[in-house]
Amino acid sequence: MLSMNNLCKVFQSADIQTHALREVNLSVNEGDFLSVTGPSGSGKTTFLNIAGLLENHSSGEFLLDGENVGALKDSARSRLRNQKIGFIFQGFNLIPDLNLYDNVDVPLRYRGFNARERKQRIHSQLERVGLASRMKHLPAQLSGGQQQRVAIARALATDPRFLLADEPTGNLDSEMAQGVMSLLEEINQQGTTIIMVTHDTELAQRASRSIQIKDGRVSEVPPLMKRVIA
Amino acid sequence: MLELGLIVRALLRHKMAALIIALQIALTLTVLVNAVFMIQDRQASMARDTGVNETDTFYLTSRVFAPGYDYQSEIPKDLDLLRHTPGIIDAVYINSVPLSGYGGYQRLQLQPGKDQSSIIAGDYLSDDHLLNTLELELIAGENFQPEDVLIQDSNSAQLPAKIIVSRAMAAQLYPDNWQRALGSTVYVDENVPLKITGIVKTLQGAWHFWDQVEATIITPVISLTDAGIYLIRTEPGRRDELMPEVEALLAHSNKNRIIRSVTTLQDTRDESYREHNATNKILLLVVVTLVLVTAFGIVGLATFGINRRTRQIGTRRALGATKGQIMRYFMVENSLITLAGIALGAIGAVALNIYLVETFAMTPVTPDLIVYGAIAVFVLGQLAVLYPARKAALISPATATRMV
Repeated sequence: MLSMNNLCKVFQSADIQTHALREVNLSVNEGDFLSVTGPSGSGKTTFLNIAGLLENHSSGEFLLDGENVGALKDSARSRLRNQKIGFIFQGFNLIPDLNLYDNVDVPLRYRGFNARERKQRIHSQLERVGLASRMKHLPAQLSGGQQQRVAIARALATDPRFLLADEPTGNLDSEMAQGVMSLLEEINQQGTTIIMVTHDTELAQRASRSIQIKDGRVSEVPPLMKRVIA
Repeated sequence: MLELGLIVRALLRHKMAALIIALQIALTLTVLVNAVFMIQDRQASMARDTGVNETDTFYLTSRVFAPGYDYQSEIPKDLDLLRHTPGIIDAVYINSVPLSGYGGYQRLQLQPGKDQSSIIAGDYLSDDHLLNTLELELIAGENFQPEDVLIQDSNSAQLPAKIIVSRAMAAQLYPDNWQRALGSTVYVDENVPLKITGIVKTLQGAWHFWDQVEATIITPVISLTDAGIYLIRTEPGRRDELMPEVEALLAHSNKNRIIRSVTTLQDTRDESYREHNATNKILLLVVVTLVLVTAFGIVGLATFGINRRTRQIGTRRALGATKGQIMRYFMVENSLITLAGIALGAIGAVALNIYLVETFAMTPVTPDLIVYGAIAVFVLGQLAVLYPARKAALISPATATRMV
């Protein structure tokens, strides 16, 4: 369902070319829970941005559900993001001026759901992450773990096929991180494909597949090696 | 989907910034509507037709200094000389000039007697050549005959039997039907009868600031004075050429007076409305400055809001917002602020106008001007936010992951 063939990403600034990703060949199948690790500056976020259609690749091929997304216009990419991809960010990226209900509502409005449908989805997702009772609260009134749960509810509200998580536990203490990770595992078990960028090797091992990015090159980490690392 | 609810709720969390710009918009609309109204009012006043040929007409003053000057014979000689000068169509001796700020008036009564109500009329004293000299349009009745004209000392109280009135004057005398004025008798000095024998379409009086400036009469009297005015109409296009010639001609024809203040009617009009023009320019400058300050205020607020919400915009893009939806978000947000400002401004415009009407006896502003002002301010708001909104739409969705 997600396939990258010889995909490269080059950043050009003045006379300097920076190869963020080099000849990435990767397939992600439905139901996968793929962890992405690598040192800082290795290209993890760039990989996630390209996978999530947040930015374009420079060369190679990227197929999403068989569709070559490289040639799509910005508006079509926006529509695909809204329909197929959910995002979880390290900094939660909730809109501080809106309460939890309205935060979850944002992608649903872009999708064009009617008010009744939106309300039903918002209630359902906030209940799923255990925050239905606080839907009128502002993000600042919640703990980091709770904010990340709201972000997960928002990501899932549109029923995406992929969930892309960028260091989802990076700003959380270990207890909250475990809670968020358990929630992600539960979501994956219910059929949502997850790609998670993380620094935390322990969390990475809980994914069904792992890749490592180093100097822009992607390599699959075999299950055996995962155990050795553990 | 306009996200109206989300925008309103988000705005309410940053009330102060939105309130300040809404108040600025309100102030702009308040001042804009009243300033434009004042400009329009002055423009309308300046655009009023004097009823006379201003293009080809000029006048001069004959100031007599010699004792024993024989006005009775010299003035007709001057007029004869002028009327027979090539290039001059006609000329008159007159007591005042339209819009010059100097003139005479009469109180007209429909009934004789002491305590009868009267109407004030600007009074031109001249002869049967005045209609031709000023190219006035006679719309009813007839012109004076030469024998109707009294030539008398300016202190004389004798009055002729006839007058010609302007239509505006006729309408004041007979509001239901101005044509009834023709042939009717009015009274001056309580009981001196004057018969209205002609009505001219338009003839403004000497004072532009007088609200009844178009209520005038022509009395067939040559009122002899040591500072008499000769009003002269030339053939089209020859006015400027003839002005110095006529000045020299009259100066040489009689050495017992000096000729001065040779002026065109156009210059008199310009001088008369100089203050109006200056005030309009100042008001226009104030309006333009205020509009620009408000536009920059909107640009500033929108830019500040966008910079403050860069990651939020990136997140919205990541969640599926198109560039158009981001742009629309800021346009709608700005519309709401502008509409709030317009609502306050409309109230302010009316309040300020009521104050101006009560204090300076101005006419009330018309509702359509408030509507046009509101539309103009709304369009201004949308234009001002266009650039920042476009900038916001260009924020990359990748911003959501690149900033922590």
